[in-house]
Amino acid sequence: MKNYIIRRLIQMIPVLLGILFILFFILEQAPGTPVSNMMNPKMTPEQKAELAQKLGLDTPWNERFVNWIGEALRGNLGYSINHKKPVTQVIGDYAGATMLLALVSLTISIIIGIPAGVISATKQYSIADNMLTVISFIGISIPSFFFGLLLLKFFAVDIQLFPLFGLRDPLLMSTNPFDKIKDMAWHLVLPSIVLGLNSTASFMRYTRSSMLEVIKQDYIRTARAKGLKEKTVIYRHAFRNAVIPIITLLGFWIPGLFSGAVVTESIFALPGLGKISVEATLTRNYPLILGINSMLAVLTLIGALVADLLYAVADPRIRFD
Amino acid sequence: MTDNVYDDYVVNLIFEHLIDNNAEAEYVPELAEWTLSEDHLTYTFTLKDGIKFSDGTPLTTADVEFTYKTIAHPKYNGPRAHAVASLVGYDAFHKGETDVFEGIKVIDEKTISFTFPEGSAAPANIECFIYGIMPKHYYEFETWEDFLALNEAPLGSGVCVFDSWAPKEFIKVMKNQNYWDSANALQIDGILMSEVPDESILSALQTNQIDLAQISSSSENLEAAQSLSNIHLFNYLGNGYTFMCFNCIRPQLNDVRVRQALMYALDREAFIEAQYGAGLAEVGMAPISPSSWAFPDASELNAYSFDMEKAAQLMDEAGWKMETDGFRYKDGEKMHIKWLVYTDSAWPGTLSGMAADTWKQLGVELEIELMDFDTVSSRTMDAAPGEKDFDIYTMGFSLSVDPDPTGALFDDNAYVAGGFNASGYKNEEAMKLVAEGKAEFDIAKRTEIYKEWAKIMNTEIPHVIIAYRSEIFGCNNRVKGMEIDTYKTFVQSIRKVTIE
Repeated sequence: MKNYIIRRLIQMIPVLLGILFILFFILEQAPGTPVSNMMNPKMTPEQKAELAQKLGLDTPWNERFVNWIGEALRGNLGYSINHKKPVTQVIGDYAGATMLLALVSLTISIIIGIPAGVISATKQYSIADNMLTVISFIGISIPSFFFGLLLLKFFAVDIQLFPLFGLRDPLLMSTNPFDKIKDMAWHLVLPSIVLGLNSTASFMRYTRSSMLEVIKQDYIRTARAKGLKEKTVIYRHAFRNAVIPIITLLGFWIPGLFSGAVVTESIFALPGLGKISVEATLTRNYPLILGINSMLAVLTLIGALVADLLYAVADPRIRFD
Repeated sequence: MTDNVYDDYVVNLIFEHLIDNNAEAEYVPELAEWTLSEDHLTYTFTLKDGIKFSDGTPLTTADVEFTYKTIAHPKYNGPRAHAVASLVGYDAFHKGETDVFEGIKVIDEKTISFTFPEGSAAPANIECFIYGIMPKHYYEFETWEDFLALNEAPLGSGVCVFDSWAPKEFIKVMKNQNYWDSANALQIDGILMSEVPDESILSALQTNQIDLAQISSSSENLEAAQSLSNIHLFNYLGNGYTFMCFNCIRPQLNDVRVRQALMYALDREAFIEAQYGAGLAEVGMAPISPSSWAFPDASELNAYSFDMEKAAQLMDEAGWKMETDGFRYKDGEKMHIKWLVYTDSAWPGTLSGMAADTWKQLGVELEIELMDFDTVSSRTMDAAPGEKDFDIYTMGFSLSVDPDPTGALFDDNAYVAGGFNASGYKNEEAMKLVAEGKAEFDIAKRTEIYKEWAKIMNTEIPHVIIAYRSEIFGCNNRVKGMEIDTYKTFVQSIRKVTIE
C-alpha cells in the first residue's frame, strides 16, 4: 500500500510537468498581454513597454516556464497583477467561499441524490422512479443562471425571505460567532440549492444505473434466497458493490471544491475562485491563471489517487501492492 | 493604485488631492491654492491651513513630495506614471540615477512647486495634480513590497477613514471624526460599498437593500427604474464616447469616400434605439464629449444620417463598382471588410450586426470576428504598424476633464506598437491644431482651434465617434442632498448628503 502510494506520487511529477507545459504554451499562444487592457490614453507606449518589462513579459516563454517552476517549488507563485498581492494570498482570500459553497452543496447532493438513486433503482418504472427521473432531468438541464434568478425573484424580491446578494451582512455588528454562522448559512441557502440541484441529479442518475446493474447479479438473488431482509439485501449487498462508480465521481469532486462555480458565484455575488479565474483570464493575469490552474491540476491528480485508494475500502477484492 | 471606477471612489473618499474639478469641469483648489508662472511651466501650490491626516498628523509639503516621488519610484508599476513622467528630471529619478527629483521643489512646509520642461506648457498639465496625497510618516518604505503591503490599510486626509473590506464582497469606510475642515465633514456615519451583480441591481434598489447604484443604461432598465416609487434617478450624459476605427492603410479603406460611404450606410439612429433606447445616447460627431466647453456647434458637423443612395454614389465615385454577384469590386478586388468585435459588452455586436445587413445592400462583404477585449486591443493597438490585423474595430473611451487629445486615437505619434492610434491615418494640419490647442491657455482661442480640428476629423473619419451615452444612477428616497452629474461623482457630493 505504502509503496503503491509513493509510486503513484512519483508518477504524478511528469504528468504535472506536462500539464504545466501545456498551460504555459496555451497562455503564450493566446493573443493579448496583461497590459493590453490598460486603457489610459495618457499612458505612453514607452510606459506600457516598461510595465510589460517589469512584469517579465520580455523574456521568452520557455525561460519563464523554467523560472516559474523553480519559484513554485519554493512556494512562490508570483504576484497577481490586478490584486497587487502574492498569488497564494489571493487564492487564500477567495478559496474560503468557494469551498464552503461546494461542500454544502456536495453534502446536500450526496444526502439527497444517493438515497433517491437507490429508491429509483429498487422501484424501477414505478411512479416514484418516473417522478425522480423527470426531476433529475430537469435538474441536469436547467441553466443555473436561470434557476438562480428565478429563486432570487421569488425568495429574495417577492417574499424577501433570503438575502439578494453576498456571503454575509457586513453591517452585522454582533460579535457572537453563532449569529455570524447563522447569517452566513442564511446567505448560502439559495446558492447551495442552485449549485446542488445539478449534482444531486447526476448523483441520482449514477446511483440508479449502477444499482440496476448490481441488482440483476446472481449474488443478489442468492442473498434474497437465503431469506435476508430486503433492506439488508439492498444496502449491505447491492449498494456496497454499486458504490464504486460513485467513488470515482467523488474523486473528481475534490478539484471541483476549488474550481468554483462561475455562474452561481456571479449571480449571488459570492467572493469565489470561479469568478476571479474568469477575470484573470479576461485580463491575461498570467501569474494568477497559472497559480489557480496548477493548483487544480495537483488536486485533480490527488483526487484520482484518493478515488483509487477508496476502491479498496469499498471492495476488499481490490488490493494495491 | 486603482484599477476601476469603484476603487477610485474608495480612494477619493479616503484621500484628498491638491486640486479637484467642480461640476462645471473647472479645476478648483482642494488641499492647495496654486499659481502658474509667467512661462506657464511652474505650478506653485500653497497648502491650506490646518490640514491633518485622519490620525491627527499635519499634512505638509513633505507628504506631497513623498507622494509624487513614490509614483516616480523605479519600481512603480501602476498606470499613473504619466502624472509625474512629464516633469523636469523624471527620467533620471525614475532610472534610480539620483535621489533628487529636479522638477519638484519643496519651498517650505506649505509651499511646493512642480516644473515642466521648456516647450511643454499646457493647460492639461494641471491634471497631474488630481492624485491623492499620502502621509509620508505612514507609507515611508524600505522596500517596495513593504509599501504594497500597506495597500490594504489606507490612511489619508479625506472625509472617510478605512474601516474594513472583504475582497469581492464589500468595502466599509466610516466618517473621519478628525476631519480637518469640520464645517465640511461627512454628515452620515459611513459608507458601505457592496458588490452586487448587474442582474440584481434593480431588485436591490427596489427592496431597499442598497441606497445608490449605477444602473446599466438601456430603455428597459430605465423604464423599470422609473416605475420604482422608492428611488429617484440621475440621468446624465457620460464624459466619453464609443468609436469605430478604420484601418486607413488598407487599400479598400484608404479612400475617405469609402469610409464616408460606410458611415452613410450605417443607421446609427436605429442602432441607438435598439441598443440603448431613444434618449439614452446621441449620435457621435466630434471626438470631444458634448458635455465639454470645447464641443463645437453640432450644425457645423456631419452626422452622416442614414442615406443609402449617397453611400452608393460615394462608392461609385471611389471606383468601387457593383458587380452581378451583388458585391463591389475595384481592380478585380472584392470589397471585403474584417471587423473585430469583442463580446465583453453588447454594443459592438449590435452595431456590427446592423452593419452586416445594410453594408451588404451597399455591396460590401463584412466578416465579423468575435473575440474578447484583450484580443481586440492586442491585434489593433498593441501590434506594430504593418502587423495590425483588422479593417475595423470598435471600442469605448472615457475622457478626462481637459479635451486635449494628445496621445490618444487621433495622435499621429501614437501610431506605434502599444500606441492608441491604430488607424494609420496621418494629417499634418490636424496635428498642428492639436499641438496648438494643447499649448493654448486662452479658452476662447482654444475652442476655435478644437472646432477646426473636429471638423477635419469629422470629414476624414479615420476614427468615427459612434455615440455619446447617458449614465443612470438610482438613489433611494431616504438619501437627501445627493447630486450626480457628468463632472460630479457621488464622492464629490457626499459631504452634503444626509439620511432621513
